[in-house]
Amino acid sequence: MSPRALRGWSWVHKWTSLVATLFMLLLCLTGLPLVFYEEIDHLAGTRIEAPPMPPDTPRAPLDTVVAAAVAAFPGKVPLYVFAEKDDPGLWLIKLDTRVDTDERDAVFAAIDARSARWLGRPVFDEGVMHVFYRLHVDLFAAEAGRLFLGAMGLLLVLSIVSGTVLYAPFMRRLVFGTVRRDRSPQLRWLDLHNLLGIVTLVWLLVVGATGIVNTWANQILQAWQAGQVAALKRSAAPPAAASTATAATPIQRAVDAALAAHPHMTLSQFAFPGTLLSTPDHYAVLLAGATPLTARLQTPVLVEPGTGRVLEAAARPALATALQVSQPLHFGDYGGLPLKLLWCLLDLATIVVLWSGLVLWWRKHRRPQPLSHAIGAAR
Amino acid sequence: MKVDEQGLWAIFRWPLAIGAASAAGLLAALLGDGAWDALSWLLLAWPVGWCLRGLRRR
Repeated sequence: MSPRALRGWSWVHKWTSLVATLFMLLLCLTGLPLVFYEEIDHLAGTRIEAPPMPPDTPRAPLDTVVAAAVAAFPGKVPLYVFAEKDDPGLWLIKLDTRVDTDERDAVFAAIDARSARWLGRPVFDEGVMHVFYRLHVDLFAAEAGRLFLGAMGLLLVLSIVSGTVLYAPFMRRLVFGTVRRDRSPQLRWLDLHNLLGIVTLVWLLVVGATGIVNTWANQILQAWQAGQVAALKRSAAPPAAASTATAATPIQRAVDAALAAHPHMTLSQFAFPGTLLSTPDHYAVLLAGATPLTARLQTPVLVEPGTGRVLEAAARPALATALQVSQPLHFGDYGGLPLKLLWCLLDLATIVVLWSGLVLWWRKHRRPQPLSHAIGAAR
Repeated sequence: MKVDEQGLWAIFRWPLAIGAASAAGLLAALLGDGAWDALSWLLLAWPVGWCLRGLRRR
């Protein structure tokens, strides 16, 4: 590498890292407990679980389940019904004052899937884990915070690429894995930075890139919804006249019809008309497959509330697929507890890389420099 | 350990192998459960092992 190119890459690595490091440290530290969100929730006893019943206990119609949730929150309307993968005995219903709000005041109801009995109100927006979550996702600054963290993620990717380029000149005379422990603290930090940085490279790139995609979730889902509405308008089937709740097809029938059209899939989520995942005029039944990957790839099936007719939704756009695949790859929650532990160790290794980079920069600048350099730096 | 000047292949072959193993590990757990998960743990343990080795006191 020419000295000029080396200086250029060093400049890119130094500045992208310096700008992003503090935020990346914050993301690593807050992300650590979030990896174990479910386990912590369970241990804290705050997780609502369905009472055990024989597995063949008949299930209540979804309409009865939703009615139980609505009865508990007068004045609110249902938005979504979620299936809990780990607890098929309960449904989570999300309600808000209107279907098209930003869901900031949304509430959840947990209802028993067999007896349609009220189980509790899961609260996701308080407690220390929620503080970690918000710091990790949007810095308590909603959309602006998300997009800002996404931009920091892009700097991280640049910093990883430039760091990989710089790895070569540093390692020209060193065997892979060397950490010079007895020479000077500076060399030990440098070798640690290089070794931990290069071995966690692929993991951090994947977690970084999928994190960036997650910051665009709202935009991607909105574009998907707009595309579906546009496709339906173009298609031969005109949307049924805006149906009133009284004339509506029972939800359970809509779900059964969607499942009959896709016999190998299971119900993952149900969305009422007007929400982000449906269209203004249709129920959306979101189905999922059986493997860890296809379980994350939701296939929406639209059902006309007036007639109960199943409409084949347009194919999922590539960006929406990217978003849905991004979620497990960012959370590390798709391979059991050992994968979560590995996620945790790789996160800790990333903290060492960030910290050692900061130390190396600090030591370099703290050292007394020739006068001309100091003047140059002060300008 | 110091060695004579190395080419790019010599510098990057182990990082490449570990990177490929990491990518395969991340993918494996997505494809299935059980054995796929175990394969994923094994592959991702490789970079983690190097991290722990690098952090040893001596």
